[in-house]
Amino acid sequence: MLQRFQYAAPATRDELLGLLAERKGRARLLAGGTDLLVNIRNGAMKPELVINVKKVQGYSGITWSRSEGLVMRPATTINDVLRDKNVRDLFPLLSECAHDLASYQIRNRATVIGNVVNASPCSDMAPALLCLGAKAVIASKRGEREVPFAEFFKGVKKTVVQDDEILERIVVPAASSGARGLYRKLKRINGHDLGIVGVALMKKDGLLRLGISSSAPTPILVDGLKERDDIETIVAAARGAISPIGDVRCSKEYREYMVEVFVKRLFAEVK
Amino acid sequence: MRVHVTVNGRVFERDVEEHKTLLRFLREDLGFTGTKEGCGAGECGACTIFLDGKTVNSCMVLAVEADGSAIETIEGEAKDGRLSVIQEAFDRHHAVQCGFCTGGMVMSVRELLQRTPKPSVDQIKEGIEGNFCRCTGYQQIIEAVLDASGQKELADKGGLKHA
Ligand SMILES: Cc1cc2nc3c(=O)[nH]c(=O)nc-3n(C[C@H](O)[C@H](O)[C@H](O)COP(=O)(O)OP(=O)(O)OC[C@H]3O[C@@H](n4cnc5c(N)ncnc54)[C@H](O)[C@@H]3O)c2cc1C
Ligand code: FES
Ligand code: FES
Repeated sequence: MLQRFQYAAPATRDELLGLLAERKGRARLLAGGTDLLVNIRNGAMKPELVINVKKVQGYSGITWSRSEGLVMRPATTINDVLRDKNVRDLFPLLSECAHDLASYQIRNRATVIGNVVNASPCSDMAPALLCLGAKAVIASKRGEREVPFAEFFKGVKKTVVQDDEILERIVVPAASSGARGLYRKLKRINGHDLGIVGVALMKKDGLLRLGISSSAPTPILVDGLKERDDIETIVAAARGAISPIGDVRCSKEYREYMVEVFVKRLFAEVK
Repeated sequence: MRVHVTVNGRVFERDVEEHKTLLRFLREDLGFTGTKEGCGAGECGACTIFLDGKTVNSCMVLAVEADGSAIETIEGEAKDGRLSVIQEAFDRHHAVQCGFCTGGMVMSVRELLQRTPKPSVDQIKEGIEGNFCRCTGYQQIIEAVLDASGQKELADKGGLKHA
C-alpha cells in the first residue's frame, strides 16, 4: 500500500507552475510513475502532493522541424519515441536507447523526461541525449531556462532541476539529425534489469562522441573525439572519463573491461 | 476522489483514495481479481491490463489517473462463455500451471498479436519480456503464442508436443 498523498491533475501549465511554486519541495510531479510510485511505495519519497503532468494541454507528443529540432514533452513516452518515424529516420540513436529500456508495458508508460529527471546513473535515454547534444528547457513561475544535457546531471539522482521547476521540453537540435549511432547495454535479462554498463557511440560529420551509463555517478559524455581517431585514443578517452564502482551487480574491473569491449565493438559497427 | 471507469465494457463510478493503485482498485473495489499483484513494483507483469488500448502495469498507475479511461482485464478475454483464441492455445499447450502469471501474460500476448499478427520466437520473447512466469519455463507459452497466431507447425517443432 502506498502512503497517503493529495493528488492534482492540472489542465494548464499556469496551474501546474502555480502548484509547484506554492508547495515547493513538498510536491512531486507524476509522469509515467514507474520511478515515482516505486519510490513512494518503498518510502524513499514522501510527497504531500502528487501532480499528474499528463493532463496538461500541450504536454504530449513528439514534434520535429528543421527550425525547432526534435521536441519531446512531459507526457512523451518511451514507446512514443519508438513509434515516431522522424526519430527512426533522423535520430536512430534515440530509438536504440529507448528500445533497451525496461519492458514493453513499462515503455507504454515511462517518459523520456521522467527517465532523465530520475537521474539514475544507469539511465538508458541519457547516453543518446548526451551524444546528440540535446538540451533541457526548464520552466517555473520565475521563468524559463535552457541547460545542455552535458551540464544537466549533478550526481547520483541529482540534476539541475529545482523544486519549483518542471522540465518542460527536451530539444534535440536539427544539427544532430542524420547522426549514426548504436547503443550496447550489458544486462542479465531483458525487461526487468537495469544496465550493468551501457555505451552509446555516435558519428557525425567527422566527430565521434560516447555516452556512457552505469559507469560513473551520473551518465557521462565523452566529447572532442574524431571519427578518424585510432581506437586506442578512443578507448583511452573512455577509460579516463569513467569512474565505476563495484556493487551487487558486478565489480568495478568488470565494468571498466566491458566499457572497453563495447567501445571497440561499436567503433567497428557504426559505419 | 470520484472516479469513472469502464471495465470490459461496464461502467463503474466509485470514490477512491488518491494513493490507491489501479491494481488495488480493480481487485478490492471492483472485484476483478483475475489481475494479480506479484511484486507491486513493475517487475513481474502479473498486474498487466489494457488502459485506453495500451498495456500497462496496473501496480504503477494510480486509480485516480485512470478516471475517464477504458480498461480491459483478463475477465473480458472470454466472450459469451467462450475462451478466446489465445486462451484456447494456452490451454492446449499447457501454458498455464499455477495460473498466477496468466492474466497478465494473456494481456501482453493479445497486445503483441495486435501489433505483430505472426510474431517470430524472438518477437514473442520480447513481447512477454515484462511478464514473469515461475512455473512453465516459458516454452509452453511461446508454443501457445505460435499456435494462436496460426503458426502451429512452428509450435510443434518446439519439441514439447502437448497439443
Ligand atoms: C521494472 C522496472 C524496470 C526499469 N528498467 C529501466 C531500464 O531498463 N532503463 C532505465 O533507464 N530505466 C528503467 N526503469 C526506470 C524507469 O522506468 C524510467 O526511468 C522511466 O523512464 C521513468 O519515467 P516515468 O515517466 O515513469 O517517471 P516518473 O516516475 O513519473 O518520474 C520520475 C521522477 O522525475 C520527476 N519528474 C517527472 N516528470 C518531470 C518533469 N517533467 N519535470 C521535472 N521532474 C519530473 C518525478 O517527480 C520523479 O521524481 C525501470 C523501472 C522499473 C519499475
Ligand atoms: S505487480 Fe505489477 S509488475 Fe508485479
Ligand atoms: S503459470 Fe505459475 S507463474 Fe506462470
